[in-house]
Amino acid sequence: MRAAFVIAAKDLRQRARDRSAWLLGFVAPVAIAGLISFAFGGTETFHTDVAVVDQDHGVLAQAFTGFLNSPELAAVLTVSPVADPADARARVDRGDFGAAIVIPAGFSAAAHGGPVHPLTVVTTVDSQLAGQVTRSVAGSFTAQLDADRLAVATAIAAGAPPDGLAARAAALRLPEQVVRTPSGTRTITGVGYYGPAMGMFFTFFAIGFTARGYFLEQRDGTLDRIAVAPVGPLAVLAGKSLATFAYSAASLGTVSLITSLVFGADWGPPAAVAVLVAAVALSVVCLTAFVIAVSRTERQADELSAILAFGLVLLGGNFVFLGAAPEFLRVLALGTPNGWALRAFTDLAGGAGGTAVVVPVLAILAFCAVLTTIAGLLHRRAVRR
Amino acid sequence: MTVLAIAAASLKRMLRDRVATFFMVLLPLVVILVIGATAGGPAVPRVGVVAAPGPLAADLVRTLGGTEGMRTSTFDREQDARDALRRGEVEAVLLIPAGFDTLLASDGSAELPLLTAAPTGNAQSAWQAVSAGVARHAAAVQAAGFAATTAGGTLSARLPLARTLETTLPRVTVRSEPVDGTGSSLPAGFGSSAPTMLVLFVFVNSLAAGAALVQTRKLGIHTRVLAAPVPARTIVLGESLCYLGLALLQSALIITAGALLFGVSWGDPLAAAVLTVVWAIVGTGAGMFGGTLFRTQEQASALGPTIGVAFGMLGGCMWPLEIVPDAVRALGHLTPHAWAVDAWTALLARGGGLAGILPMLGVLAGFAVLLLTAASLRLNRSLTT
Repeated sequence: MRAAFVIAAKDLRQRARDRSAWLLGFVAPVAIAGLISFAFGGTETFHTDVAVVDQDHGVLAQAFTGFLNSPELAAVLTVSPVADPADARARVDRGDFGAAIVIPAGFSAAAHGGPVHPLTVVTTVDSQLAGQVTRSVAGSFTAQLDADRLAVATAIAAGAPPDGLAARAAALRLPEQVVRTPSGTRTITGVGYYGPAMGMFFTFFAIGFTARGYFLEQRDGTLDRIAVAPVGPLAVLAGKSLATFAYSAASLGTVSLITSLVFGADWGPPAAVAVLVAAVALSVVCLTAFVIAVSRTERQADELSAILAFGLVLLGGNFVFLGAAPEFLRVLALGTPNGWALRAFTDLAGGAGGTAVVVPVLAILAFCAVLTTIAGLLHRRAVRR
Repeated sequence: MTVLAIAAASLKRMLRDRVATFFMVLLPLVVILVIGATAGGPAVPRVGVVAAPGPLAADLVRTLGGTEGMRTSTFDREQDARDALRRGEVEAVLLIPAGFDTLLASDGSAELPLLTAAPTGNAQSAWQAVSAGVARHAAAVQAAGFAATTAGGTLSARLPLARTLETTLPRVTVRSEPVDGTGSSLPAGFGSSAPTMLVLFVFVNSLAAGAALVQTRKLGIHTRVLAAPVPARTIVLGESLCYLGLALLQSALIITAGALLFGVSWGDPLAAAVLTVVWAIVGTGAGMFGGTLFRTQEQASALGPTIGVAFGMLGGCMWPLEIVPDAVRALGHLTPHAWAVDAWTALLARGGGLAGILPMLGVLAGFAVLLLTAASLRLNRSLTT
């Protein structure tokens, strides 16, 4: 056992002397996560300025502008009256407003059974979300208006006297009410998602370092000299695995610590995060063993580890926000250990309890078991040759 | 002639590298596919609906499914919907209470909790769209109740009349009016991922190819060439030509695959060609400068992609610079990437031509001259001292 620790310590010392290892394992992921935090700081809460052109000046237009200025929409919209539709269009085009609403003349007549005139939402392709939100707000008001108009029309058709019906209908409360309720989940921020994603991406570079180091030691005769000493092959394997595990865990752990302390990322319960970090580090060890078992030369190991690392992070969702991805990409991600880890990191950052890591960790362990078995079989076949 | 021979020899050596082929051919295409598929969906909020038993509940699910301004997906279990919300797969979750039908039938009112994680634009939009859908669904029930109150009868007796009138009564609509057909963002989906990844990968692969220059130096190839009657400037020119060839090959591949596989329209052909060549020269300068700056291949492999990805993030290759704060946008324009993305945006989003991108081309040419001069001087010095 002591031999394994000595080998691991030697490997880690070598790694510590390599500036590339520091750069890839510690500096690059923190820098990229910092960039993301810097880029998206303050853009996660939505608010837009909307111009309202009232060409109706009737009771319904007043009710609508009152709705737009209601306290429940205050956090979303800031409404400014504009007299001229052309001016509103020009100001939306210039970017002064995210969108504009034009209330047409005769709009209020709809409340009393008169002809209906559509509301116009002026949008720009540069503020698509503002246009979308404004359309939805206007749609919500017209849906309520239509419901009231239907109530009046049904009552009249049923034989009710029409006098005062519109006023009574306006006071109605729909029998189905949407009540906004806190979900208990936290918002996944840019750094909250890409912190672990980039941390894992750069941790996967350790596969190439270690595999290349193994073949270099083989070429230089270092492995042969160790083999002459009273050290079994298992101790060598354990030592090298331990070094890779320690480097990977330290790398991802550092990213977690720095993004939490400096950029305010919330990774979730520390114990669960630590278990996940360990599982990811273990998967790096198994992937490295697989690369060494499959490769015959330093160059092959280099090539395979690069392709494996980039393939896994692409499939696992480390480059894109998986929540926005189509279903097939989300399913594909679960074929990778980093995809499972990212799902668990997202769950923890979103406010899930520590138990959320159980299934992902089991999936990562299963991935490791399969990979280790394949690596073992390949290694045995190579030894027999 | 000697220049061409040096360029061809270096290019051949680079293209024989299987990892380089992977990074040049497969990786950009997969990244374009993944990012294009993720960012290509319509910009409407996604709402999870937890269904409940009963015909009225089923009818509400159908109504919400047909409501404009949102996409719904149905969940059988509340926990699954909450998980989807936490992972950002939906922006809001509407819970239809278990006794929905009974509630409506008894006292005629039901509260529907809408869970949202954060006040993002999509969550706000989802809230309004859901409110509109629920109001449309509740309209007939409200109308029947109102008719029963004002004209006599029962809610259930008046419901068929309300349902009939609902289909004939004209609705107050909301119509959109875009102020212009062009914008300052690239088109969604592959129209955005292909040009931005062209910018990213030409630069990253040129920087990574700096490792080949380090290797050439290490193997003493330049020293042997200099032993022949070949001046140092010929080697500098030959190496520059090799890097330019590599960058142009990479660009041609992405442009062809983008057009054929992903249906990307690259805009005005002349302007697109000039922009591609100028960007390839920027990549050439960056790759050669990196090759003269990095001391080891490991340094080139570690620093090259990291710097390339960081510049890509700052320069708007990973997300549009329109969504980041002004300071970040200004910082991004210190990189050549932002100017290249701006030029592609002018071509693809605004249908511009060569004249429209001249300012960007001027800045990019400045970057190219700066990088190429610095790289040539450094390479020339290393060859002659």
